[in-house]
Amino acid sequence: MRLFLLFFLAAIFVLLLQTTLLHLLPISPVVPDLTLVLCVYLGLYHPTVGAALGAFLLGYSTDIVSSRIIGLNAFAMSLVFLTVYLSSRAIWLQNPLVSSLVVLLASLVKGAALVLVSAIFVSIEGFWIGAGWYIIREALLAALLAPVVFALLRRGENYVDRFRAPAQ
Amino acid sequence: MLAFLRKNQVSLSACFCLLLSIYILIAAARGQLKNEPLGALLMWIMRPLQTASQGAVNWITNFRENYDTLAGFRSENERLRQRIQNLEIERQKLLEAEATNRQLKQLLDFRSHLIPPGAITATIIANSAASWFQSCQIDKGSADGVRKGMAVVTPLGVVGQVVAVTPGAAKVLLLTDPNSGIDVLVQRTRSRGIVSGSLENGIVLKYMKRSEDVQEGDRLITSGMDGVFPKGLMVGTVIKVLKQHLGLFQFVEVLPAVQTPRIENVLVVTAEGGAVKN
Repeated sequence: MRLFLLFFLAAIFVLLLQTTLLHLLPISPVVPDLTLVLCVYLGLYHPTVGAALGAFLLGYSTDIVSSRIIGLNAFAMSLVFLTVYLSSRAIWLQNPLVSSLVVLLASLVKGAALVLVSAIFVSIEGFWIGAGWYIIREALLAALLAPVVFALLRRGENYVDRFRAPAQ
Repeated sequence: MLAFLRKNQVSLSACFCLLLSIYILIAAARGQLKNEPLGALLMWIMRPLQTASQGAVNWITNFRENYDTLAGFRSENERLRQRIQNLEIERQKLLEAEATNRQLKQLLDFRSHLIPPGAITATIIANSAASWFQSCQIDKGSADGVRKGMAVVTPLGVVGQVVAVTPGAAKVLLLTDPNSGIDVLVQRTRSRGIVSGSLENGIVLKYMKRSEDVQEGDRLITSGMDGVFPKGLMVGTVIKVLKQHLGLFQFVEVLPAVQTPRIENVLVVTAEGGAVKN
């Protein structure tokens, strides 16, 4: 329950950052995709049914506050979770560089999924023209921030565990 | 069977989420997704946090702007003096043009310029959470009379269009989003086109034939033909015109009149198809 609360608060905080403060960074219009990093973290370290649902809700929430068509990010995030979960069994994850690489690849998967689904359901003329530039910049940015976000989440989990231990 | 389900429960639940997303996408694309209780709940949670956070953002932005202003005060002062002189000359020309225009209008009994009956003032409380979508949220919703499809403007020009509404907030699709499309006129030649956002070039003027006369510096205004935006609102200025060897249309890049990250307050136009009084 406490872990759920931790990730719920993390998701709200990350969404809040993405919709407000991160727009101050001089890299506009690209915004660091921290929700993706959170989704990858769930896929790598908490591969549960609840986490799968959490990844879906992360995408859905992003759709609510950003996208014109609901479901685009929900699909992309669910796909990222599934991909990360399936590939996590074969990856040694203790190195921050490896976690960055996983986030980079996950971001590329998300970008490709967004373009594909947009092409099918939204059919915006020439949408894909500038997409490559966005995908690469977003992926690099997410990979750069991943070790920091992972470390913060791990610290938060340790904090929750410290409270849980006396109860056990 | 049960053992298989238990062994693959995570993969299966992720697949279920994928299928659910596709179902929601199809429903949303067909316009069947009318009520989103989860969205309203999320907006309800986020709104006070976003309002507070946006306050901090505004404070930081103001602080940075004040610092920049002070740092470049001397050169800015010189530049402004020059600008005032130029504006004074321009003002004289405009006054003369306005007088002539008024006389002509009286002669022709031309009455096309109407003010829309109502507009709601709103404050931007958040921007888009994803780089792919250019949208923002305002602090007025259906409880204040905001409805889906209403135009969002500032005195400088067009901002965007309301695409989703909850009781306390609304989502605005910005002019710079690739999904947007606004019917416009080139002010000088009255040629019509569609202005839309693009991921690559900011905003572009689409479907402008090669034979049409469009030049850098041309001003684009709303035509009022789409029934959403009042006629005569400034949309942007042409900054690049490119006629390629092949193709029916020319490529026209536009600088938006309203730089969305810099605005804080907007007007939501509650009436359709009006026009703007000069």
